[in-house]
Amino acid sequence: MNNFFDMKMLASGKNEAFARSVVATFALACSPTVEEINDLKTAVSEAVTNAVVHAYKDDTGVIEMLCEVNETERSISVSVTDFGCGITNVEEAKEPFFTTRPDDERSGMGFTIIETFTDEMTLRSKVGEGTTVTMKKVFKGC
Amino acid sequence: MDLDFKIIGNDICIKLRGEIDEYSARSLRADIDKLIEAQGFRTMTFDMKDVTFIDSTGLGLVLGRYKKLKQQRAELLLKNIPTQVDKVFRTSGIYSFVPIVK
Repeated sequence: MNNFFDMKMLASGKNEAFARSVVATFALACSPTVEEINDLKTAVSEAVTNAVVHAYKDDTGVIEMLCEVNETERSISVSVTDFGCGITNVEEAKEPFFTTRPDDERSGMGFTIIETFTDEMTLRSKVGEGTTVTMKKVFKGC
Repeated sequence: MDLDFKIIGNDICIKLRGEIDEYSARSLRADIDKLIEAQGFRTMTFDMKDVTFIDSTGLGLVLGRYKKLKQQRAELLLKNIPTQVDKVFRTSGIYSFVPIVK
């Protein structure tokens, strides 16, 4: 059975560094390169930022992060779920530079960065129920 | 975080440090804007050498300062960009309008 962890945390900017560090540490079992670890950390940070900034806006909420490593395949899968407002148009949300909060100096690059920095990204969302972003990264370097 | 900066004439260089994400961006943005508003600079340079991590929130901060400075007819410049920061910046195409200096 693949090693995994499943954790819940407060949707707060304070937990972003913690979230990306814990995933990075977990990924070490797959002997990633420094660049691969940085890619993974950046992608996780984007997913958590989305939950903090967009899913709950000014309310408090919970983020669930499920992480699984496949040491044989040298890959990691990370799912970040929120139980917030959901996304009305998922395809539009994935467009580079699209943001619902330009006034807040949001770059609109979150999903583009996750797609660019990992090997696979899936986005499932239901308005009023929440959003799950799942990313998979395969470590190819040695 | 106290800002580490150096002013020479109408030019300012700010040494950014650590991780620039959702948690740190708010106060950093306010600190930089205080400087922008206090004095009319010709150029503002962000020295990124000691930035250990940046994400799209940090990118938004940089783009926002670019716009703010442009309104004042001032220019934003970037310097000493680490690999992780460079990768995020390249994804956004920021280099087509914010120059890198040595």
